[in-house]
Amino acid sequence: MAHPRERPASYGWMKRRDFLRSSAAAVSAAGFLASCGADNKSSGSLVKVATPDNPSTLQISDDNPPIDSNMEPEAGPLKIFNWNDYLWPKVAKDFGKEYGVDFEISTFYNMSEAVAKMRTGQVDYDLFFPTPDVLPKLVAGSLLQPLNHDYIPNLEANVWPELADPFYDQNAHYTVPYMVYSTGIAWRKDMVDEDIGARSNPYDVFWDSRYSGRIGIYDDYREAIGMVLTRNGISDVNTGSSKALALVEDQLKEMADKVKIRTTIDGAYAKLPEGQFAVHQSWSGDIIAAPYYMPGDDYGDPDGVLQFWWPEGKGIVGNDTVAIPKGAKNPVLAHHFLNFLLANKNALKNFSWVGYQPPVNAMNPATLVKDGYVVPNLESAILERKALDSDKQLLALPANIDQKWQNVWSNFKSGV
Amino acid sequence: MWPTFAAPGLIWLVLLFLVPFYAILSVAMGTLDPIFGAAVPEWNPLRWDATSFAEVMNSTTLQVFGRTCAYVAIAGILSLFIGYPVAYFISRHGGRFKTTLLVLLIAPFWISYLMRMLAWVNLLQDDGYVNRVLMFLQILDRPKSWLAGESLTVVLGLVYGYIPFLILPLYAALDRIDRRLLEAARDLGASPLKTFLSVTLPLSRQGMIAGSVIILLPMFGDYYTPDLLSGSPGNTMTGNQIAFYLQAPSGANRGAALVILLSAAVSVLMIYYLITVARAAREAQ
Repeated sequence: MAHPRERPASYGWMKRRDFLRSSAAAVSAAGFLASCGADNKSSGSLVKVATPDNPSTLQISDDNPPIDSNMEPEAGPLKIFNWNDYLWPKVAKDFGKEYGVDFEISTFYNMSEAVAKMRTGQVDYDLFFPTPDVLPKLVAGSLLQPLNHDYIPNLEANVWPELADPFYDQNAHYTVPYMVYSTGIAWRKDMVDEDIGARSNPYDVFWDSRYSGRIGIYDDYREAIGMVLTRNGISDVNTGSSKALALVEDQLKEMADKVKIRTTIDGAYAKLPEGQFAVHQSWSGDIIAAPYYMPGDDYGDPDGVLQFWWPEGKGIVGNDTVAIPKGAKNPVLAHHFLNFLLANKNALKNFSWVGYQPPVNAMNPATLVKDGYVVPNLESAILERKALDSDKQLLALPANIDQKWQNVWSNFKSGV
Repeated sequence: MWPTFAAPGLIWLVLLFLVPFYAILSVAMGTLDPIFGAAVPEWNPLRWDATSFAEVMNSTTLQVFGRTCAYVAIAGILSLFIGYPVAYFISRHGGRFKTTLLVLLIAPFWISYLMRMLAWVNLLQDDGYVNRVLMFLQILDRPKSWLAGESLTVVLGLVYGYIPFLILPLYAALDRIDRRLLEAARDLGASPLKTFLSVTLPLSRQGMIAGSVIILLPMFGDYYTPDLLSGSPGNTMTGNQIAFYLQAPSGANRGAALVILLSAAVSVLMIYYLITVARAAREAQ
């Protein structure tokens, strides 16, 4: 009998949430305008960089209105465009059964690729899973259609209020939230003799030569640089300060020399459980799924080998979204699917397979472990609602700052 | 009449080489879409802007290229040392098993390069078969972390990946050597070693050069071998840098510029090959 989270051994080195959010931070329109001297805050600009303190409303234009209420769902098939392994096909199947439609899932490796494909206008997906920082571009490019909330009562009923009306899309004009996650450090108790979380500065582990060759970080410039900034107590994880970034570059190079750091995308959820790494930077959703990548008798992590730490209250959190492309052939059906995803029961079901946590009220951290959704040793990977207020998010960067970040990363990656 | 027979080849060359190459050049010399950061090729040479070349022509690129050259050179030499005896053995001592041996040699390469590298990732793990065998033979006393950013692993991966493409032309060259020349050398009193050095080796030179060029060119552009077998910045090759730029948001111009620069550098190799072929043809006449 297969466990719900069981999936084929994955050659995930290029799969799944490749460059989770980072590639998405493509030179943003906002950044471009900012660097041209336009004011971020001026409402007249095409798009702007949203921050929790400076929320953004994505405008609805007259020639791209939401669909009417009370329409009958179309006959499908529902076309879904998503990260690989990021939606339990069973959930989509259940939806198909309920509405009598088929579904097709197409996948992408990273957000740049996905946006590039959307831009061609040659695709007719009904659902797309963008990260918040590309939303201004997608809306400016008229690639998404506004949502009609009449079809999505679960958004208000079930979703954490911070995300039912999020800072990057006020009043949820175009998106509903999909998953939330934090970024921390994962390690294997059987390969590491210490409690990394108990160090005075746990991030120092990435510079500890004892773990040379067995330690990795994400191949993601935003997460990697964000981590080094956090290590140094620099609280602005979207900083443009040349001084801070020079410090980061030095430390990244030191890391490469000292521990032969390896950069991966599947290190945390696949290679750590396989024993290829002792320590790896980790998104909470990756480590929650990791027990089901452990081989043989260790499947499901019965010995509690996997560990996770993140600096709650001072760490990095994020979320992604689901939207309906403008060219969708089944917009009504797609609205129903959004509502279906946000139903507590379906959200939990999807979580049990994906490992990433939907921000719905039914996600009760206190019971997730008891009910067997999360192994007890990884309880710390469960994200609580309050983290969205207290912790920091990696936001879209203005073009000139983004370039600085990319230069740091490219110098580090070249290994010279 | 006769020149029209060149048409298919010419069309092939234009469609599959010149046009794509011009497209890459246009991307390198082009701009970026202000909203999406995607490459906007500039087709008009009068409006070309070489900024991205200036951006990638820096000491980092040169150092990475130096590392790439070192990896490729070592891998090329190793391939010759491993491939030559194999090709020699099959052509001289293969007898009626020649075809079988060649097929066996090529058989693993019917599987995609990627799958074979992923298989190596499993074999090379700390508790993988490579370490187990080496420890059983007491060559190692504890497991070696092959995948932990080792240059050696990357070089061996390159050798493994491309060596059959060296062996085949080399085999063809060795097999073509007239046996009577070898007999004549022996008749004239040359030792087996002397025969090899003054007859076989020079006569197989073209095969060695052809085989080397065939494997060195793709090695220069390789990026998945270091990616899969290391993943560490210390083993980055020029191919990785290109992939890095092309995947990075708004890096397409620079990626394309680096492609052009790498092509220019490896075409030096190609030109050397063409010159030696031309010279050999002249000598043969």
